[in-house]
Amino acid sequence: MTGRSLKGVGSYRKIGAAAISIAVFLLIWQLAVMFTDVGIVMVGPVEVIGRFFVSMVEPIGHDTIQMHILWSLSRVMTGFILGSVLGIVLGILMGWFRPMNALFRPLYEIIRPIPPIAWIPLSIVWFGIGEPSKYFIIFLAAFSAITMNAFAGVKAVDPELIGAARMLGANNRQVFTTIVLPSCVPHIFAGLQIAIGSSWATVVAAEMVRASQGVGWVIIRGQDSNSTVQIMVGIVAVGIVGFALAVLMRWIEARLCAWNVRGK
Amino acid sequence: MASKKKSYVWLSVLSLVVFIGIWYLACDVLKLTKASTLPGPVTVVGTFIDKLTQTAPDGATLFQHIGSSLQIAMSGWAMGVIIGTPLGIAMAWYKKIDLYARPLFDLIRPVPGLAWIPLMILLFGIGLTSKIVTVFLSAFVPCVLNSYTGIRQTKDVHLWVGQTFGASDFQMLMKIAVPTSLPLVMTGVRVALGASWTCIVAAEMLASTKGLGYMIQQARGIYRPDIIICGMITIGVIGALFSWLLTLVEKKVIKGVKR
Amino acid sequence: MKDMIICEKVSKTFETARGNVDVIGDVSLTVHENELLVLFGPGQCGKSTLLNCMSGLEPVTSGSVTINGRHIDSPGPDRGVVYQRTALFPWLTVMGNVEYGPKVRGMDKKERREKAQYYINLVGLEGFENSYPNQLSGGMQQRVGIARAYCNEPDVLFMDEPFGHLDAQTRYLMQEDLIKIWEKEKRTVVFVTNNIEEAVYLADRIAVLTNCPTRVKTEFEITLPRPRNYVDPEFLRLREEIGSVVDKSL
Repeated sequence: MTGRSLKGVGSYRKIGAAAISIAVFLLIWQLAVMFTDVGIVMVGPVEVIGRFFVSMVEPIGHDTIQMHILWSLSRVMTGFILGSVLGIVLGILMGWFRPMNALFRPLYEIIRPIPPIAWIPLSIVWFGIGEPSKYFIIFLAAFSAITMNAFAGVKAVDPELIGAARMLGANNRQVFTTIVLPSCVPHIFAGLQIAIGSSWATVVAAEMVRASQGVGWVIIRGQDSNSTVQIMVGIVAVGIVGFALAVLMRWIEARLCAWNVRGK
Repeated sequence: MASKKKSYVWLSVLSLVVFIGIWYLACDVLKLTKASTLPGPVTVVGTFIDKLTQTAPDGATLFQHIGSSLQIAMSGWAMGVIIGTPLGIAMAWYKKIDLYARPLFDLIRPVPGLAWIPLMILLFGIGLTSKIVTVFLSAFVPCVLNSYTGIRQTKDVHLWVGQTFGASDFQMLMKIAVPTSLPLVMTGVRVALGASWTCIVAAEMLASTKGLGYMIQQARGIYRPDIIICGMITIGVIGALFSWLLTLVEKKVIKGVKR
Repeated sequence: MKDMIICEKVSKTFETARGNVDVIGDVSLTVHENELLVLFGPGQCGKSTLLNCMSGLEPVTSGSVTINGRHIDSPGPDRGVVYQRTALFPWLTVMGNVEYGPKVRGMDKKERREKAQYYINLVGLEGFENSYPNQLSGGMQQRVGIARAYCNEPDVLFMDEPFGHLDAQTRYLMQEDLIKIWEKEKRTVVFVTNNIEEAVYLADRIAVLTNCPTRVKTEFEITLPRPRNYVDPEFLRLREEIGSVVDKSL
């Protein structure tokens, strides 16, 4: 008998099992739609996948599905970049300078527990139904996640490294730029990872509430016109992009933080 | 040292006072903004007190909205925890389940819970069921993920010790792996509650006749930002209370499980 | 020989929640120029704290530390430290770590690269310039730490149980190499250890410390010729003699 271990299994077996289980799932879904009452309200995977490809050439509303995705992505990117930059700067300043923390912490703590989605109505009142209101909401989503992580990153800097740097002759400014900043990069990436997911969810919500294009709009228009297949096409698009964004962030992190082998 | 700490506290108080002071001066006293864009703090507090007892303009008092949101959020969350946590544990412990269930889970994982709302409404109607199912999906994902990662943190050496003492596979799961995973399981439960709360607000904004999300969405339609801000603060305070309560429970549960 | 470091009646008290703890009680100690002094003492005594006081990382409660006649009260590049947990900067390569000191002190790139390369070669890490610390073994990481401390060309090197985490085999090798490096690049070294063999192998002089609060119990001059041999009768005799004066209580 070999020892019990929770280590993974070979990737070939993994891919095989994944293919089988997804195929069985799709088959049951398809059969249920074709031969049971489920078919009254639900569409099968064949139709969904078919429609997804059709909508790449035949527009839903004014745009094809990839254009809707681009609309949503451009909103996410604008808000996400603004929120990240401000969140990283504020989080690091709060972590390194005690007075900054004392000054901004109470205001931040008021905003933090409010889900970004709950800002949608107020944001529409303030900025109208156009793009700025969406940028604002996504900005908030990214900002609140990243600030906390950047702050935690600064607080987690190993004091021995700071001691070593001082001993080697670094002054306060150099300790900040050469020790504190690089050592909180992994924390910041963890924050960016969370922020990109939450930004993506938020843009879908914002588009469902008020928009005239974007994947969220595709889904909500599907509901308005009782088109289950259009909703499913939207959900598939949301899933694919959400997955791609997470993978992309992880890839960038692996490139930039090669020195930081996680879990070691 | 002590006096320095005190001065930081004063700085925090000062920052809050200045923030509310500027807001008050600009909106309530000087009326620089329209009440239909940004009401002052006095107006908001007034509205808040009114909303405690009045049903106008959205058909329910603040407490009725809170009750409605809480009811759905808690039911969906509880379902997510009860189904998600054991599933995550089973997936991490039994390789067969991992091989076949994990791909399906990965399929729905990247879809944010609230994207399911319209589909659920079409499938289950506009009532309670559709919202509870959506909230369940939001809570389910973090519960599975965290308990899965938690179990996977079990060290092989600990399992071998168990085997040497003749523990059965199930005993090892219950006595070694599950205790190891507890801190992360609790994190999952806490994250799930936050996600449920966010999801219910979104669901109510899209399709509902009651609840905090519905209240702020209605208030937007009739340009009553004072009600929106009341609603947002209520949502925030309840969310903060949730996470505070669960952190307390977490500390109780994790006591003794050293990592 | 010139006196390099002079500790006069140094004491250190930590304030904790459960009252004050005297960690160092009245240590007076002199380290000569280019001497390898080993501070040797049992497990939890305040060896590292004493070292931190001497290097200026921690302020003393009373008494004074002077190096070359200058009063020490804060960290500075005229002193180099090699740490037990290496304290390498994980985001910098070996080269980046070694040249860190000269870089923050404003030396131009070409000059500091040459200097860093010299010390990297000295510790035997040629070819690993572009590796990151987590790609190296424990012994190699300590070599980087030694090169980094050396590269700043400090007057004094403080080594805080640098080989404490290494396995026995690597440890012997590192001790041997440290002596080779030190004989080539003479510096005043204060080396902390709780390993009696290591102390006898390395030291010109050993200061035996007592348990908390730390005091200097006795000092031993070690005049054995180098390279020393762990099984040489004289080596074993010294080991016995020093072992007999160490506090046995835990």
